[in-house]
This record gives sequence, C-alpha cells and structure tokens, in this order.
Amino acid sequence: MPKKLKEVLVEAGIPMDFESGGHSPAQMTDREINREPHARVKKLKDIFMQTLSSANNEFPYWYTREYALHDTEIPVVRRAMALKAAFSHLTPVIYPGELLVMHKAPFFRGSFPMPWLSEGYYMAKEDELYQDALKRGSASADEHSKFGSGGGNVTKSFGKVVSIAGKFGMRQEEVPGLLKLAKAWVGKSVDDLGHKYEQMVPDYEIKEALMRNIVCMFDSGYTLPQGREVINYYYPLEYGIDGLLEIAREMKDKVAGRADGDGLKGTNRLFNYEAVILMLEGLKAWISNYAKEARRLEAIEKDAVQKREYAQIAERLEWLSANKPRDFRDAIQMILTIHLGVVNEDAISGMSPGRIGQVLYPYFEQDIASGRISEDEVMELLECYRLSISSIDCFASAGVVGGVLSGNTFNTVSIGGLTKDGKSAANRLEYLLLESGMTNQMPQPTLALLYDEKLPEDFLLLAMECIKTGVGYPAFMNNQNALTFMMNQYGPEGMTPEEARAWAIGGCLESSACAWKPLHLNGKEYFIPGGAGQPTSVGVHFLSMPKILEHVLWNGVDQRTGEQVFPAHDRTFTTFDELWDQFKKYWQKAVDILALTNNVQHDIWRKNNMAVLNSMLKPDCLDRGHLIDELGYRYNATFNVESAGTITAVNSLAAIKKLVFVDKAVSLEDLKKAIKDNFGFKTAKEVNSFSLSDQEKREDGPGMWDKLHFMCLQAPKYGNDDNFADEILLDWENFFCPDCRNYESLYGHPMYACQISVSTHGAMGSATIATPDGRLAGTTFADASLSAFPGTDRNGVYALLNSAAIWDHTMSQNSQLNVKIHPSAIQGASGSRKLLDLIQAYMRKGGFHIQFNVVDTKVLKDAQANPQNYRDLMVRVAGFTQYWVEIGKPVQDELIARTEYEGI
Amino acid sequence: MTTKLNHRDCANFAPVDVTKGICHLTKDIVLADTEQCADFARLPKCLNCKEFACTPGVSHMGQCNASAHEPKFFAYPEMAAVTCDRYAAL
Repeated sequence: MPKKLKEVLVEAGIPMDFESGGHSPAQMTDREINREPHARVKKLKDIFMQTLSSANNEFPYWYTREYALHDTEIPVVRRAMALKAAFSHLTPVIYPGELLVMHKAPFFRGSFPMPWLSEGYYMAKEDELYQDALKRGSASADEHSKFGSGGGNVTKSFGKVVSIAGKFGMRQEEVPGLLKLAKAWVGKSVDDLGHKYEQMVPDYEIKEALMRNIVCMFDSGYTLPQGREVINYYYPLEYGIDGLLEIAREMKDKVAGRADGDGLKGTNRLFNYEAVILMLEGLKAWISNYAKEARRLEAIEKDAVQKREYAQIAERLEWLSANKPRDFRDAIQMILTIHLGVVNEDAISGMSPGRIGQVLYPYFEQDIASGRISEDEVMELLECYRLSISSIDCFASAGVVGGVLSGNTFNTVSIGGLTKDGKSAANRLEYLLLESGMTNQMPQPTLALLYDEKLPEDFLLLAMECIKTGVGYPAFMNNQNALTFMMNQYGPEGMTPEEARAWAIGGCLESSACAWKPLHLNGKEYFIPGGAGQPTSVGVHFLSMPKILEHVLWNGVDQRTGEQVFPAHDRTFTTFDELWDQFKKYWQKAVDILALTNNVQHDIWRKNNMAVLNSMLKPDCLDRGHLIDELGYRYNATFNVESAGTITAVNSLAAIKKLVFVDKAVSLEDLKKAIKDNFGFKTAKEVNSFSLSDQEKREDGPGMWDKLHFMCLQAPKYGNDDNFADEILLDWENFFCPDCRNYESLYGHPMYACQISVSTHGAMGSATIATPDGRLAGTTFADASLSAFPGTDRNGVYALLNSAAIWDHTMSQNSQLNVKIHPSAIQGASGSRKLLDLIQAYMRKGGFHIQFNVVDTKVLKDAQANPQNYRDLMVRVAGFTQYWVEIGKPVQDELIARTEYEGI
Repeated sequence: MTTKLNHRDCANFAPVDVTKGICHLTKDIVLADTEQCADFARLPKCLNCKEFACTPGVSHMGQCNASAHEPKFFAYPEMAAVTCDRYAAL
C-alpha cells in the first residue's frame, strides 16, 4: 500500500494537523441552529430537491427565427425584435402552491442555450449529440426515474435525456433542433466573430497558448458577457411597464433625426428607444401569457384555496403587465419578473438583486402600517423568493459552469451598509431577509453584509446566528473600504461620496457602483439604491499566478504540455529580485494580450448583442437615449483583472527565497528537478484526490526528494503573521493593484484588481505541476485570495487575520478570506459574541471580506462517501454557497482539507 | 415522431424538468413519458398544427409553413405552441 503524504510526514515528526486551536469532538457534530420554512415553501423546496437542470430550445428558436427575418435592420432594433419574439413565445408554467410565479424557461430549473453568443461547443459535439439523441429512442419509461448523480446536475445522458455540458438535461427530441439553431450562427456568433478579429491583435499566439495551458481560465465576451453587477429595479417600480413605454415613445419623438451636438451617436437614440419599446412589448407579452395561464388554471382548479390563489396571481400579473406595483406582494413579484427577464436576455452569472431590503422597504413599511400584510406573510414571500432565485440556472459551457461557477449563478442580496444620508441602513425588512435565509436555507440569494460601525449590535448578532446555521452567509464586506474604492475608481466619472453609499455586491463579491433614485409611493418619497454600473469581472479572467511562476522557472515553457507559452527570457536568476522581476514581466505580458483580445470580443458583443432590457433599467440610459454600448450607464470603468492562486504563488516565492537565495540550502536547478518529479509522488489524477494530504508516494519513487520536500513544506507560509511570507504578499499587492491601471477597457477606462477565486483554484490546480511550496501536481491551489493553504496556518485565526491585512485592501475591488470553523467552537451566545469580535477585529484592521464555513470536517468526509444522504448539505465554496453534491471533486477535496478552527 | 400520447402532451402537465412534471388535476408528480389518463387535455404543439410539415426521413424535424421565411423556417414536432398565434389545431 503506497504511503500517503500525511503518513510520511507523521513518520518524519512533522504531522499535518488540520485542526487549529484544539481538537474537534470524536463524533460528528451537527450545526447548532436548524430552522424550517413555511409548509408551502417546504413542499415546493422538496420538488426543487428532485429537480434536474433542464433546457429546451424555445427561447433560442424564436430568437433565431425572428432575427433571420430582419437582416437589413439596424443591429440594436434587430436584436430587440428577436428578444421580443423570444419572450413573447415562452411557455408559461405555474406550479401548485407558488406565491411568486414565472421561471426562466418552462421548467422548475429551466434554461436554454444562446448560440448567438457561442455555438462552437454544439458544432464540435454535433455528431456525438446527434447519435446520443438517436440512441435514446429505445429507452423504457422506468429509466426516466433515474436521476443524474450530483443533485440537480445531469452529468450523464439517460433515458430520453441527453446531457449537455455535463450539467443540463435536454430531451432527445430537442437535440436536432439545437444543432440546427447552432448551425444558423456559425460565423456570426460573438465567439466566431470575436475570434476572427482577436487574431488581428499582435502576439495573438501567446493568448492562445495562455488559454490552452490554463494560465487563463476563460474569455468573457461570448461566455458570460454581463453580470457580476447589481441590477436596478427602480424604473419598473416607479413607472410600471406602460409608463416606461410612454416615456420611451415620448423620447423617441424628441430625438428622431436630431444629433443634439453629438454627430457620432446622437441620432442613434432613435433606434435605441425603438429597441426599448420592442423589448418592453416583449416583456409585457411574457407577463400577460403567465396571467392567462393563471386564469386557465383558476378555471380548472377544484380546490377553493388554490383556485383563489390562482385568481390572485392572475389579477396581479394582469396589473403588473401594465402598471407599477401597489403593495409589497406586487413589488416582490415585479422585481422577480424583471430579474428573470434580464437573466434571460443574455448569458449571465452574478446579476445580483442588490439591496432589496432598501428597494422593497417602502412597500413593506406602508403595508405593515396599514395591516395589508403581516410579518409572517412577508417571511413566507421571502422564503418563496429564495426558492425562485435558487432555481436560476445559467446555460454556459462545461468549463465555465463547472470549472468556474460550480453551477452557481451568484445572485447576491446585500444588507446593511448606509443610507443616502449616512445612517445605518439596516431596517426591519433586512432583519427578515436574514431570518428567511435561516428558515429557507438555499444557496441563493446568498447574503452580503456591508459592515459598518454604525450597524446595530442586534442586527450583527442575528447575522452570527445565520452564519451558525452553516449556510455560509452572510459574508461580511467592509463598507468603508468599499466607499474608498468606489471614489477612487468612479470619482472620475462623477461619483460623489453620497452616491458611493449606494454600492452593493454584484456577483459573489464584486463591489459594484450603484445610484440612489427617488421612489414615490402613496405620496411619500424614498431614495432606493440600484445598480448604475456596467458588468464587472469582464476583462482579464483568472490569471494563474502559480502557472506564471512555473513559466518563469522554465524559461516560458509549460511543464505539463511542453509548449512555449511566453517568449524565452533566457535569464539566470542569481538573486530573488531578478526572479521576481521576471515574474512581473510575464504577468504584464499576459495581462496586456488578454486585455486586448477581450476588448475585441466585448466590442463584437456590444455591436451585435448589446443589452437592451438591462440597459434600460440602468441609470442613465433611459434619460440619455444611449444603451450600454454607447456609454449610457452612469459608471463604465468596470473592467478588471482577476488573479488566481495568490497564496500558492506567495508561498512558493517564499520557499524559493528562503531555500535558494537566503539559506542556500538547495540550488534552483535541484528544486526544479524535484518539482518536475512531483517530489516522488503520484499525480492527483492517479490518486483520485485533489487534496494535498491524500497524495501517495510512488512505490518505485527514489525517495531522493523527501528531505527537500519537507523543507519546502516547512518553509515560511502565509497566514501565520510571519513577515517573511507576508511581505511577499505585500510586494505583490503593491505591484498588482496599481499595475492594473495600465490597461484600458474598450470603454476607455483604466482597469483595476479583482481578487476572487470562485472555483478556479480547483480547475487551475489540476492543470499545474508541483509548486515550490511543497504542493503536489494536480492538487488544488489555496482557495480565494487570502485563505491560507490548508493546514499551513498554524498560529491561530488572529495570526491569519494579521497576515491578510498586511496590505491596503482599498486598492482592490475586493479580497477574499474563507475560514472553516467547527460548530462546537462558536456555540451559544458567547460563541456568537466571539465570532462577531473576530469579524470586527478583521474589519478594523482593514480587511475587506471574511466568511465562514461552520461545519464538521467529518460530516464533509461522510458526505463525500455517502452523497445520497446529503442532498441538502450546503457549504461555502468561495463567494457563494452551494449544495455539496453539486460541487466537483477537486473543490470538495479542498473544502475537506481546509484548516478547521476548533477554537477562536 | 411520437405515436402515443403521454403526460408531457397534456395541458394539465406542468413540467418540472425533462423527466417529470406535476399534474394540475391530482397535484401528483408524474413521469413525462408515461401514458395519458382519462382526463387528458391536448397541449398545443407543432405536431398538432396544420402549419407544420414533417421533413421526410429526418427524425424530430420539419418546417413551419406559417413562417414568413423563404425557404420556410424549420420547426420540430415536440415544440410547445401554447403561445404561437399561428397555431391551428389539426
């Protein structure tokens, strides 16, 4: 039996102890707080738990059919015509017991492909999909009850269901249609056109090499061109759909044929307003179709209560198809409808609802005061809302949905923060949002608490209770940090300190620019926040720092593929500073080429596939007559550069500096040989575990690297309040954050740093050989941007916080720190207090973000071995919470391996 | 092409996913491909539309004669036509 790394280390007297601050109880420990939703919601949730992610062609069929008819139209009008046709033809499906209705597509977790963004995957798989669809014909009815493994994921084809991208199920009868639709977009999609033109960027071959060798994780222009932003519900709430139609028609009359001083795009406003009108007509038809379906169901329903509810749903939708909301029930249905409309308009992850506790408060306040609704009824609606948002799937490629998103779509709700005039924004509805996050524990919407010293203590302690349920939310974000970042990034576009306070989290933890707008309800004015900025996490996506270090060490050659990725530097490193200098040069080369090629892709997107609905919602498109493609948004400096594998790279650089250049214990060449030989271990793929502790020695291994491997593992590590490693992080941040400003987005603004990992630490780690910190080939990187590598933070959680706060977090859009705590470490009221003290200490040191997995590692191990017993187990992965069974094995292994704090 | 009618062909069937749905009459979960019951109410689909024409020799493919395109735009028999204003029941 080959020895595992942890056994080898125990024998060597340096055990890898993944428990910190004590030892967990021997028996499995459940989370302290467990609560249940309302009976109606529980029933619907039970259906959700049995539901497979399902896709069909309805939306793309009608979009493509209409688009094909208008090949001489103005692009924005042509797109709006296609969108109108698609929305108008979506089949409405309402399920018994639903209070909030409407779905993306005619399934509980429905979605659909958008071949106008990218059709390459379907074309590449054409024969495979077609044959698979044909084979399905002989399946018996019994087979249909087999569900794909991995929760709602359809990982394999079965029965009459064809698995697409390892995630979505599509019925066999739909597959020939899908292929036909894909063919219609060959050479026309954003992917194809973008590829045609990005090749004209000098040094393009480097970009291709970066992608092939997984130095960079993905392009955004044709995968997820929008998202990681905050939606804005203001206009439909203030004016209603007919009111917006009236505004657009009036504006069209005002601008038709007029340049008004803008000879380049002034006259475009006519076409933009025409597109908005078409889009609104499509939205109206979609809502009306649902209203008709509710009336049909009312007519056939025998149960009196259900019949009445269908009638209420029908009446509400009939009203909302034209008018602005009258009360809380109307308003929450309206924001859900608008949200679904936007995520249907484009392939989007991270379209965050934002601060809905502020947005819905006017309706809540007046309804509660008048007795139109009780808090219990609000809670039930909020629980239903969680179910609806958790049901949103995003149809994108396997690499994006699995490798990056882990199936999540990051619809974050932000709570806390400040009001327009600088007071605590926590209101009674936000307390209920927290409560509903406990009673209906589902991945979405995840909660982001915008921490400010002005927030009330009981609100923060309620947040501790929520964290203790183990749901992974709320994450804490530093409000004051964000205000500084907002002013630095968006001040040049006119943001004021007052407006900065409207900010919220877009996506999982991308600080996003928002604005206040005056909502009027029954004669009272309220200022509500909503998104006013373009998508973020567009630009350079997930650039792997450990990979770039590998290329520095091997003269630009990737050691997994043997490909020359970067031009050879031909340098011999006699000092650490020389090596560090080369690292920065390769980094800059990669960012530069990726920024340019992504600009080209997004430029194609904005010319042919621009947002119409999302644009209309965002200030100041409707007022100015320009959509996203013409800088109609109030804030446009949103493109960024995303790093990945930060701490693995920092630890690796620390090991090289210490062992090669300070102690001179090993030559760089010998260290490289050991790394290349994976320190005498098997690969992670051979072992089928992506956790460092599970790695096995090769039975024929020479053992010659054992001592060096131990030295690498014992070299200074980030997370211990040890300046040797931490100052490398500081140097990196002081280079990286300002350097981002050297790259310009297609919208003419400087980029900035974004430091999140999502799930890339798993996928990127699996493509990376061993690293100088002792990490072995194929194992995951340290997660997030500031989490310690599992088992290496040995000086307690406060030491970790000191390490993390060594640099100025306001230079970056975000940072990310995940901490795993055993439930017994924070039990009771005193446990809650200790947890809050810990968070406040980090915020006061200047940390931007911290979040917690409150879970017993033994439970995770049991869940990995017996997934059938853990369908509803949720864990915090990165900036999002996900069902354990829907997460890929590399990230599961990494979650198990994370240091578990037994005391704080 | 489908020759027998199943739950997924019924207007009382609310599809939960690609394999199953909820019957609006019984509120039970039913499998999509199991046979219809006595309360079956036909769901409008291209298959049942006068404007639909099958493509001979090609599975799951045909054309919509109501489309304004020349040649006519494709359609496939199993697509729901609940919201199609050109749907004309056979």
